[in-house]
Formats: sequence, structure tokens, C-alpha cells
Amino acid sequence: MTDKKTVLVVDDEPDTVAFLTTLLEDNGFATVAAGDGAQARAILEDLRPDLISLDITMPEKSGVRFYREVRDHEDLKAIPIIIVTGISSEFEQFISSRKQVPPPDGYVPKPIDKERFIQLATELTS
Amino acid sequence: MPDLPDPDQLPFREYFEALPCYLTVQDRELRVIHANRRFIADFGEHRGRHCYQLYKGRSEPCEVCPAMLSFREERRHSSEEHVRTLDGRDISVIVYTTPIRDESGEITSVLELSADITPIKMLQDRLRESRERYRTLFNSVPCYISIQDSDLRITEANRQFKETFGAELGSRCYKVYKHRDEQCIPCSVQQTFEDGEVHHSEEVVTGCNGENINTLVYSAPIRDAAGKIKRVMEMSADITPIRELQSQLESIGLLISSVSHGVKGLLNGLDGGMYLLKTGVAKENKARQEQGLEMVERNVDRIRSMVLNILYYAKERTPNLEPVECLPLAEEVVAIQRSRAEEMNVAVETDFEPESGEFDADRLAVRSLLINLLENSLDACRVDDKKSEHKVVFRCQGRSDSVVFELIDNGIGMDRETREKAFSLFFTSKGVKGTGLGLFIANKITTAHGGKLELESELGLGTRIAVHLPRKPTVVETEASEEPLAVEDFEE
Repeated sequence: MTDKKTVLVVDDEPDTVAFLTTLLEDNGFATVAAGDGAQARAILEDLRPDLISLDITMPEKSGVRFYREVRDHEDLKAIPIIIVTGISSEFEQFISSRKQVPPPDGYVPKPIDKERFIQLATELTS
Repeated sequence: MPDLPDPDQLPFREYFEALPCYLTVQDRELRVIHANRRFIADFGEHRGRHCYQLYKGRSEPCEVCPAMLSFREERRHSSEEHVRTLDGRDISVIVYTTPIRDESGEITSVLELSADITPIKMLQDRLRESRERYRTLFNSVPCYISIQDSDLRITEANRQFKETFGAELGSRCYKVYKHRDEQCIPCSVQQTFEDGEVHHSEEVVTGCNGENINTLVYSAPIRDAAGKIKRVMEMSADITPIRELQSQLESIGLLISSVSHGVKGLLNGLDGGMYLLKTGVAKENKARQEQGLEMVERNVDRIRSMVLNILYYAKERTPNLEPVECLPLAEEVVAIQRSRAEEMNVAVETDFEPESGEFDADRLAVRSLLINLLENSLDACRVDDKKSEHKVVFRCQGRSDSVVFELIDNGIGMDRETREKAFSLFFTSKGVKGTGLGLFIANKITTAHGGKLELESELGLGTRIAVHLPRKPTVVETEASEEPLAVEDFEE
């Protein structure tokens, strides 16, 4: 149990949360889910996941803002982040070219390619 | 016959001949007793003949004769006449008649002077024609024309301008066109007054019926003989149809991108559902199988509703009416969204009046409309983090001639702008999660059924949306509606 890597899945779409948490658990990960950036931030007060899967296009505390907060935070910035989103692939270039924040460790467009997602998650947590 | 002086002996004979006009002296019977050489050359030998014979080939005096009037009224007269020369030329003359008196003061004859004004008449006619042509052009040209002074007051306007803007001459341009109290910045008419150049701009103006008109405006200087700019002519062409077409094309582009974006999300949901279903079967995990199946069903439903939305957007459609029972419909809508609501931790309370009865409607369209509205209410609860508990109340009531479906949520609510734009195409408050089609189509479906949507919302408090649908809608056949909504395409 203890050697399981923990992934924080942040997505406002319950179907995606159900999909990703089940997929990760089936592949030997432990998961925690958050419906938006604020919830995710609250979880990070007590938990240091090994990886964050983040939907960038959530309402309220947007994914982008959460991403910047994590990246700016001394204790959190080392946590790898995979960005999962339905918006166009140009976004990958956009977020990767920002000067204020380092690029994400992984980028997975929706609809999610399961194998690629698990492969990325495994690589980033090993 | 009075005793007349011999013309050749007249002291002013020389002047009489030199004047560049026809000169005659006539007696009371209008006989020409003297004439200058110019007259004789053009109208022939006058002796013993009457004025009306010589000038007009008539056998009787003219109805109004200035010479006769001078005899009668003992004063000068004038008139304009058309006469014909010996060689058949028709010429216009202006005629002056003056009484001639003898030593006793009695009028013995009348001096008639006729000046050829044919070239002037021709110029006048041409000027009139050209003015007429200009006026016709001014009025019938398919754009709005106004002529403005340096205070931007409209001093002249063509018919189309007057009809569309109902302007009073003397009103200021910006008042008439835009219902503004101040001059526009920049103002192309003002620029033309300043630099004498032609300027153009694109403006949105408002007609007297309140309709917005997109115009392409040109301003050109009108100069006086000295070259000074006296007025500026402003010509505005109505380009609304072009702009509408453009915005439709943009809409199609937006539709495609918004739909493809939505499809990605739905595919992801389907993928997830299928994964859960498959692995649930492999692991013989019943709960997982059910969760997967629900996800698949929900996303298939969302795809169906999206396709229906696109069809409603793509074409004005006449609803395919059939009798629909309110209760089963409302229950079905709740059943479809129930698990989603549970996942979001939103309570759905139903308040369905058992005697709601039935109404005529396009069942699939109304079902899609209600799913859409319920989904919106759930989303409004999901994104609200100010309240600890969220619920949506779904009501269904039957009235004598209509049915009302009502959704009340205590979600995030809408501010004024969101409320006002809620039914606009491609307006979404859900960021990239929304297509901006939902409420626009909901409104369209409701209107197509002769019903109405009611929206009340307060930011932070929640939203109430009610759909009123008549039990027996009178569907207006629209031009593009020959093909009714093909519901069979969406039947399972």
C-alpha cells in the first residue's frame, strides 16, 4: 500500500474523474480527486501527491491559476503535473512558452489516450 | 385709320432698326403698321396684315394679347410667346408692349418689342431637366444621402434617408443617425470640412423604427464657385446584409469549433464509460459495470441532444407535433440526469402535479430542451462554492391551456450581463466547457412551439427558469420549414 504512488486528479467533469481515477487505480496508483482548483489546493495542505493530473479549463479557480500557484510554491513546485484538456493543441504551445511558469511535465489532450496517460504517469512518478 | 407718321421719317428710325429684336407698331385692330427690318426678314411683308397672322399664322387674335391689354389698360404689358418664322423656325420671344399717344394724349398705337429668348429657354429647359435628373438620382439611389453644413446640420436629405431615419431638416447628423447628443469621434463629415478630402468609415446607425443598420459612409465636399467648401455630402450604403452574412459565416466557424470541442468532452466520457464497463466485466465488478453503463448512456444522451441542437441551429424547423404526457417526460429527464446530480452532490427535488395532463409538442425537442435546462441548473450548483448544500427543484404544472416546466436552483446565479445575454448564440458562462448553444436553442425550441422562456436570476443566490408551452401550439410555417425535424433519426 505504502509504495503506491498517489495521483491527485483535478477535473470538474465527474465522468473524467471517474475514468481517470479508475484507470490509475487499475494501474497500481492511489488516487485523490478534486472537482476544482480550490478543492485541489485544500487537499495539498495535507497531502503531497506524487503527480497531479490537471484539467486546465475548469470554472471558478481555473486550472491555469492552480497550475501557477503550485509552480510558484516552494514546497509544491517539484510535484510533476500532467495537463489534461479538451482545448486545442495550440494550448500546449501556449502554456509551454510562458516565461512566468515552467512548462508542464506532460500534456494529454482529450479524448484521453489511456496508454499514453498511464505511460506518462508511470514515467513521471518513477 | 389714325394719321401715323411715315416710319422712314421717324427721328429714331436708326435705333428702331439697330435693336436686336423684333419691333412693330400696331393699331387698335392689331394691324402692323410699322415693323423693323429684322421683323420683315423673319415674318414677311406686314402691310395690311395683323400681328397674330404674321407671328402665329392665326386667323383671330390670341386669347391673351399684350398689345390689346396695353390699348385697354393704357399701360405697358409683357408676356412670353411662341412664334413661327417664315422659314418654319419655332422661336420663343418675350414681348413688351407700350402705348403710343398723340399730342392730345390719346393712345393711337402700341409699340411691340419681341426679343428672341430661344437660347435662354433652351438653357432653362436643360437646366430643369438636369435638375430633375439630379433629383431623381438623389432620391432613387439605393443609399442614404444627406447634405450637411459645418454645424453637422442636415440641410437636405434624399427620400431613402427621410423614410429610414424620419429626419427633420435642420437636425444634427449624430442625433438623427445615432440618437446621440454629441458629435461622433472621429466624424468623417467634419474631416472633409477640414481637409476637403473624401473620407469613409463604417458605422452602425439606428433607423426610426429602432433597427440597427450597418453602413459604409463616404463624405465628399461640395464647393462654391470660389472653391470654398460650403457643404459636405454624406452618402451611406446599407451593408447590413453583408455584415449579417459575414456574421453567419463566423457563426458557422464558431459552431464547428464549439461542436468539435464539445465532442471531445463527450468522447472522453464515452471512453471512460466503456473502460469502466469493460474492466467491470473483466473483474466481475457489478458496481463498476453499472457506473460505466451510466456514463455511456449519459454521454450518448448528451451527443443526441447536441446533434438536435445543431439541427435546430442549422435550420428553422417546424416542430413535429405529437401528444406528449407531461409526467413521463419530466420523469425521464430527471432519470437521465439523476446520477450526474448525485455525483455532483446536488439534490434534485421534483414537484410534479399529477394532473398536468398532455400537450402537443415535438417530444424529442422538448426533452432535449428540458435536459439542457436541468444540466444548466446542475452546472450552476456545481460551480458554486459559497453554499454547503445545493439543490434543484424541478416542477411541472398543468394550466388550462398551457403546461409549465420550472427549474429552480440555488447555484451560482447570474449577473445582469449574463442574464441579458443568456439566450444569445455562443454566449456561455461556462468558459470553454460550454458551447453557447444550449439556452439559445432552448429559446428557439420554445418559440417554435409558440411558448416562452422566463428567466430570473441573482448572482450568488440562484436561478429560476420556466418554460411555458401551449397545450395546442399554432405552429407558424416558415419558409425553410418544409422539412420537419427528422426525429426518427434520433430514436433508439
